[in-house]
Amino acid sequence: MVDISALFGQKKVDIEKLTAAKDISGLIRALHSSDTSTQSEAAKALGSLGPEAMDVLIRALKKKDKDNRLVIIKALTEIRDPESVPMLIEMLKDENSEVRWEAAIALGEIPDPRSVEPLITCLRDHDKYVRFGAALSLKKLGWKPSNDEEKAFLFVGMQDWKAVQLIGNSAIPALTHILHDRNSNVRIRAVEILGELKSTQAIPLLIQSLADEDGDVRWKAVLAAQNCGIKMIHLPRGLSHRPKMKKNPLIAGFLNFILPGLGYAYLAKWWGVMIFELDIFGTVWALKYMGEDFTYETLLPIYFLLAIHAYYLATKMPRDPP
Amino acid sequence: MDIEAMKNDRDIRGLIRLLDHRKNDIQWRAADALGTSGEIACEPLIRVLGYPKINVRIGAIEALGAIKSPRSVEPLIHTLMTDESNEVRWVAALALGEIGDKRSIPSLLASLQDEDRYVRYGSVKALEQIGWSAQTDQDRAYYYIALQEWDAIKKMGKSATGPLIALFKDPHPAMRAQITGILGSIGGVEAKRSCRQVLRDPDENVRWCAVLSAIRCGVPTSQLPLELSKRPRTGPSVIGATLLNFFFLGLGYDHLGKWWGLVVLETFMLLIFISQLLLGLVMTVIIWIPIAALFATQTFFMAKRESALSG
Repeated sequence: MVDISALFGQKKVDIEKLTAAKDISGLIRALHSSDTSTQSEAAKALGSLGPEAMDVLIRALKKKDKDNRLVIIKALTEIRDPESVPMLIEMLKDENSEVRWEAAIALGEIPDPRSVEPLITCLRDHDKYVRFGAALSLKKLGWKPSNDEEKAFLFVGMQDWKAVQLIGNSAIPALTHILHDRNSNVRIRAVEILGELKSTQAIPLLIQSLADEDGDVRWKAVLAAQNCGIKMIHLPRGLSHRPKMKKNPLIAGFLNFILPGLGYAYLAKWWGVMIFELDIFGTVWALKYMGEDFTYETLLPIYFLLAIHAYYLATKMPRDPP
Repeated sequence: MDIEAMKNDRDIRGLIRLLDHRKNDIQWRAADALGTSGEIACEPLIRVLGYPKINVRIGAIEALGAIKSPRSVEPLIHTLMTDESNEVRWVAALALGEIGDKRSIPSLLASLQDEDRYVRYGSVKALEQIGWSAQTDQDRAYYYIALQEWDAIKKMGKSATGPLIALFKDPHPAMRAQITGILGSIGGVEAKRSCRQVLRDPDENVRWCAVLSAIRCGVPTSQLPLELSKRPRTGPSVIGATLLNFFFLGLGYDHLGKWWGLVVLETFMLLIFISQLLLGLVMTVIIWIPIAALFATQTFFMAKRESALSG
């Protein structure tokens, strides 16, 4: 959907006129306005138009465009019609994390017991924004966790780390969940708390974190693991399983044999492409002036040597410090 | 994989092979089984300390740490001092701590100066296990640095300066930044000199810490920019990009990090190829030299502007 008003600058959309004409699609377009007051006026107007407008809005949620869904969920938040709750719950499973986040926030604004269960599931989302939104909404809905494990998920969602630590061993499932969070700071907090819990249950988790892609997480995992009573001598093996940044020597060698120079380019040598181009020119020139036999007999051994060279370069590449 | 049976059959070589198994838990269990096999496993394990696969070396050392044979002390010291893998040196230090032989103290002290923080930390833990305590100020400084107890180091004052400076070789920028900050708060002539050197550190955060510390150590502010400008430039070189674009139009742009550099290169190569077919080699050269020169000039100014912006 093209945002017309954005194209023509400050031209104000006449919401009243659209409302009077019951122009639902016009009002939905107005939701896309960059002006926040126009947005909320349009949302209110849509709310005043009753079930008919609601149907259109809910149908529009099924469209592919993610911005469209975000705008409509925001409007639904302002309309606060319980009718929209099932659709918003559906949006909690959207593939886009911003849509999920927005939907979680929206459900907090519309008090409805149906949304509690899906929001609890959202506390286990892999995106920290969604977890945060779900936690805040659950609080607004007055939800009380029934056991310590659920409480831990709630506090992890709120990122209230002190409260998580106070829960003790029941927090381990929630912490396990965020050990794979995309954000390394979140992972560091999880590792630190696992260390503070001083529980043997945390040992396998911390050993996994020794192979984390982030160096600081790995270091914290070493410190935390000792708190949990594992002998340090068992830790170096875990660290050695950390992801290798190293390039594969076989790929480098193979590339250099088939497409001489690209093996070097694969190893991030800037002159790799240059050698590749020179080789093409050299080959064409040799084929034209020296004959086929000569060309193949000279070039193939050279390619072979280049392949071996790239192979050795790759094996000698230093690994990142642990 | 019946590790228990292999252990009962005293199949030491089979267990050593399992140290590099693709499943992590089998590696663990094999190392554990070897560690409880007793003195008989000692010789074969010492023999694989030079094996190329890291996992095998780590597992063997872990097992030797559990067997605690005095025979393995010398080979483990050798590994601690010479192995190129950080994890292997780390585990060797820890194994020496488990064995608890006083012969290993000098080597463990030496590896408190290792460039890797894990090795330093492991060495400190091993020394504590053997019952060593720091006698000299220098040892005490290395001891606290290895434990990363920065407050204790600050309290040591000038006697910690030497060890702190020696550990600037640590590859971790965060560690170098920390050291720089402490040197700034300790002050003194040597700290002043090394803060000046750190102004040329490849890492931007470390350089910034060095600026603050250098001022605290009494380096006149007016001298800082000049020192800072001597740092190694990690960005693409201006002359390099210019020359590349002169001879291989497009590769210079690629060198400057433009995604379309290679597209330009391919187009250029194709055009050269066609013009060579149509006009012959001499005409091609005559036509292309001025064009390439024009692009090279443009690249020169573009690269200069960008390197000025990147600081």
